[in-house]
Amino acid sequence: MTRPDQSEGDRARDEVLAGEYVLGVLPAEKRQQVEQRIRRDRAFAAMVARWQENLSSMDDEYTPQLPPESVFPQVQQRLLTRNSQQTQLSGFGRLWSSATVWRTLALTLFLMLIGVAIFGLQPPSSLKTGGQLQAQLKGQDATNMSLLASFEPRSGRLVMTPIANSQAEPKSLQLWMIDGNAPPVSLGLMPDIGTGDVIIPDAMRRRIANGVTLAVSLEPKGGSPSTGPTGPVLMSGQMAAR
Amino acid sequence: MFLAEEIIRLKQMSVSDVVSPNVPWKMSAMAETDLPDLLARVALQDRAAFRALYLAASPKLFGICLRLLKVRTDAEVALQEIFVKIWYRADRFVGGQTSAMPWLCAIARNHSLDVLRGRKQETENLDDETDRLVDEVPDPEAQTVINGEGRRIDRCMEELDPDRAQAVRAAYVDGMGYQELAERYDVPLNTMRTWLRRSLLKLRVCMDR
Repeated sequence: MTRPDQSEGDRARDEVLAGEYVLGVLPAEKRQQVEQRIRRDRAFAAMVARWQENLSSMDDEYTPQLPPESVFPQVQQRLLTRNSQQTQLSGFGRLWSSATVWRTLALTLFLMLIGVAIFGLQPPSSLKTGGQLQAQLKGQDATNMSLLASFEPRSGRLVMTPIANSQAEPKSLQLWMIDGNAPPVSLGLMPDIGTGDVIIPDAMRRRIANGVTLAVSLEPKGGSPSTGPTGPVLMSGQMAAR
Repeated sequence: MFLAEEIIRLKQMSVSDVVSPNVPWKMSAMAETDLPDLLARVALQDRAAFRALYLAASPKLFGICLRLLKVRTDAEVALQEIFVKIWYRADRFVGGQTSAMPWLCAIARNHSLDVLRGRKQETENLDDETDRLVDEVPDPEAQTVINGEGRRIDRCMEELDPDRAQAVRAAYVDGMGYQELAERYDVPLNTMRTWLRRSLLKLRVCMDR
C-alpha cells in the first residue's frame, strides 16, 4: 500500500465538496468556508476549477434575456461614486465624507500637543519608559484613533505616532493608497511604536505620485483580512507637491 | 494640451460610435472571441470596453440571474453587482486558452447563488477588489488550464441514472438546494444528498477514465 486509504478518502471527499460548491447546493456558511479553502489550498482550488469547467457546459441552458436599460447607468453610477470617494461601499461613505472632520481633529490634537510641549503639562496617562515621556492624545468623541506623543527630554524631540485606540479587540491602523479609479492598495500597517514611519515597498514607490489619495483605516490587529480596507476610514488626504 | 484633448475626443468617439447602447442587436454580433480582448481592456480601466462587454455579456448573465433568483427586481440588482465585480476582477481573467464566457457565467452564478442562499453581502465587494500587487490567490471562479476534457462531461452525464442526472442539472441550472431537490423528487433529504454526492463521484471517475 503506497498511499494510505485515508488520503484517498480525503481526496474523494474534497472532490465531492468541490463539486457540491460548483453545483451550488451548499448553504451560505458552507459556501463561505469553501471559498476560504480555495484561497489557501491550491490543490483544492484546482478541483473547483476543473468542476467549474466541466459543469459549465450546462450554462447553455440559460436563455439570454435583455436587462432593462436602467441597469448599466446604475453600474456606472456605482463605479463613479466609488471613484469620487463620495460614497464607499457598505457604510464607508459616511466615514469618507467625515475625513475633513478627522483632519480638523488631528490638527486640534497637534495644537494640544504643542501646548503640552510648551507648557510642560503632565498628561494624566503619561508613563516613563527609559527617560521618555509618553502621552496618548484622544479626541472628545469616541474616536478610533489617537496620537501617541513620545518626548525625549534630553534631545527635546517629540515624536508623534498615530495609534488605534484600545478597544474590545486589538486594532491596527492600515495605510492605503488610492490612485484614481483603482481599488485601494495597502501600503502597510502604521507601526504602534516608533516614529510612525512606513517604509513603502519598492514596487509601490513609483506609484505614489502627485494626486494619489492616502487613507488610514481601522482594521483588525495585523491588518485587513481582505485585499481592501474592511474597517472605517479614519482619515484621508491627497498627495500634492510642496 | 492639444494631444490630451485629442485623445479625449477620440475616446468619446469610440464610445458612441463603436457601441451605441441604442443598438442592442450589435451584441449578438459580438463574437465570443472578442470577450477576452474586452476583458483585457477593462482590466486597464477602459470604460468604453466595459460598456461593450456589458452589451455583449449582460443578456446571458441576466438570463442566469433571472433563472436562479426568479424575482425580476432581485435579478436586476444582482446584475448590477455582478458587473461591479467584473470591473474589479477583470485583471484576474487570464485570456488565451480559456474562454471568457464561462468565467463571466461563473461570476454571475456564484453571486446569484450567494443571494439565493441568503449570504450576507456586507463586505463582499471590498473583498473582491483586487490588490494587484499582493494578491495572487485564486478566485472562486478560478480558471483551469485547458485540459482537453471539453464536453466529455455530457457523455458522463448520460452514464448516470436519468433522474440523478436530472437532479444534478436542476441543482446547477436552477440553483436548487438539497431540501428543494428532496421535495421535488420526493425522497428524504439524506437520500438526495447521497444521490448527488455519488453522482459527482461517478462523474469524476468517468472524467478521469
